[in-house]
Amino acid sequence: MTVLPPAWRVGRVTPLGELHTPPRMTAALLRLAVQIVLVASLWHGLYAAAGTTAGLDRDQAVSYAVLAVLASRLREIDQYAARDTVIQHMHFGTIVYWYLRPMPPQRYYALRALGEQLYGLAWSLAGYLVCLAAGVVQPPASAAVAGVFALSMLFGQWVLYYVMLVIDQLCFWTLRNGAALLILIFAQNLLSGVYAPLWFFPDWFITLSSFLPFQATLSVPLSLYVGRIPLSDAAFQLSVQAGWIVVLALFTRFLWRRAARRVISQGG
Amino acid sequence: MTGSIEVRGLSRTFHTTVRRPGFAGALRSLVNPERVAKHAVSDVTFDVAQGELLALLGPNGAGKSTTIKMLTGILTPTSGTARVAGVVPYEERERNARNIGAVFGQRTQLWWDLPVRESFAILRDIYEVPKAEHAARLKEFDELLELSSFWDTRVRHLSLGQRVRCDLAAALLHDPPVVFLDEPTIGMDVVVKEQVREFLRHQVAERGRTVLLTTHDMTEVERLAERVVLINHGRLVLDGALDEIRRRFGSTWQLRATLADPHTEVAGLPGVVVVRREGRQVVFGPEGPGAEALSVHQALKLVIERYELAGIAIDEADLEDVMRAAYAQAEAAL
Ligand SMILES: Nc1ncnc2c1ncn2[C@@H]1O[C@H](COP(=O)(O)OP(=O)(O)OP(=O)(O)O)[C@@H](O)[C@H]1O
Ligand SMILES: [Mg+2]
Repeated sequence: MTVLPPAWRVGRVTPLGELHTPPRMTAALLRLAVQIVLVASLWHGLYAAAGTTAGLDRDQAVSYAVLAVLASRLREIDQYAARDTVIQHMHFGTIVYWYLRPMPPQRYYALRALGEQLYGLAWSLAGYLVCLAAGVVQPPASAAVAGVFALSMLFGQWVLYYVMLVIDQLCFWTLRNGAALLILIFAQNLLSGVYAPLWFFPDWFITLSSFLPFQATLSVPLSLYVGRIPLSDAAFQLSVQAGWIVVLALFTRFLWRRAARRVISQGG
Repeated sequence: MTGSIEVRGLSRTFHTTVRRPGFAGALRSLVNPERVAKHAVSDVTFDVAQGELLALLGPNGAGKSTTIKMLTGILTPTSGTARVAGVVPYEERERNARNIGAVFGQRTQLWWDLPVRESFAILRDIYEVPKAEHAARLKEFDELLELSSFWDTRVRHLSLGQRVRCDLAAALLHDPPVVFLDEPTIGMDVVVKEQVREFLRHQVAERGRTVLLTTHDMTEVERLAERVVLINHGRLVLDGALDEIRRRFGSTWQLRATLADPHTEVAGLPGVVVVRREGRQVVFGPEGPGAEALSVHQALKLVIERYELAGIAIDEADLEDVMRAAYAQAEAAL
């Protein structure tokens, strides 16, 4: 039996920081509420004007959009204000401390991200229950859909973790290249389907997107939830997600090694 | 061996691209980058014994921080070796991390958004320190550094002096035998500085920690270190006891004489030079480096015999002057 080392509590960093900053929590709550109201009324309006589009009825589209807002809350924490982003650690030179502790930086990063996600999950779940009760979001069609969605969401967040990690890891090389990072973040939001479900985009775009990991983060689980991807396709989609997890896990491990080499050759 | 530091022929060269000035220069740098080698540390050798506090001194850019980074395992040397508490730091970084504590004065390891005590708790978890031990150590540090008045404050709201004190405590919470401090007293007022010195003395004398410290504050060196290592342009200039350095470098004394007649012509005497003159006030100092210089008594005799004086006072030069002379001489030797 392995006992969890006490270091798992590194995961508390982000939630603690948030709890110690109540104004930030109020702001997050307000933003979430406003976004949900706006998104829901936007899609209601669109459907009133157009009827069924892209193989999706109004309630499905609204559920998708609201869930996308809720899910984006999972990792949307103001680490910049907490001075705890990799780019800030590179900038202030405090990244050296990540390499001065008896815990590999990759484990520290992963534990911290896990804590952040669990904290975000609490928010998302609460928001989901409220939306469900208010009838803004449709419940899943069946228990099987719910289960597959949960698994796919877990995989999706896992992929998202790696995508965000790659973006952070780039900071080890491109300290002054914020533009590239912004493009990547925009691509993540667009191609994961946060802005609008991917089926509304032209075919070439959907094809392009299918070769990238972004849609595995959100588009796939949400499509499973609203029924745009049938359960019969779920196994395939889940295996694609799992494939991305493996590929990105190997890639980020490689990048961690390169990043460490860069730190020890430049002295942080 | 438990807490000793061994440095043998340690060298570090950085390769950087030269940025040429101007727009055309920037374009040329882009197409044809010019690489230069910067020898930040060259062939440095010294030892620090268990329970010793050594000050690593040198002017800006001398290579002090680079040396410390190699000893903490953040940076790999280009050549040479180092052992810290028996571990080669850059080869076994994690094992080394358990043996050392480090503070880089301008950089904090504390979590910006959390109360200091939460940062301490996170470090306790990372280093796997038992709770009771952690609490006892915090209490000890609080007695010496008066942390409790602000340790429930978030780091972002601490003053610089408070923050660095917390960083010092944070670096020592896991009871490391070896401690590296890179300008730990930067930006502290005199009272806090004295408090920190007391803390460090306690850590060395009572806890037997080995401390390697860099600073630009000579008072600190005087109060804390018995031995110093001086480096300049990456090279070791000298390694010795403070007294020895005073002896070797320079104006270890000054004579402040008041002339009886303000119009007297004043010139140097054999072995004695005029450092400066303002009206009736003349300051004499020794000629040449300390080892060959006249003693202050011989000089006093010469000056009194030669000039008519209204008064005279003897000053032993402070460490700041000694270091200035040492740096200047090291510069001349290159
Ligand atoms: N990562 C790096 N890349 C290139 N040059 C570097 C790097 N780090 C340090 N140097 C150079 O190495 C030399 C020594 O730097 P170092 O920081 O060790 O000096 P220092 O003695 O700590 O100075 P200070 O008293 O100003 O802190 C400097 O000339 C510096 O410019
Ligand atoms: Mg320095």
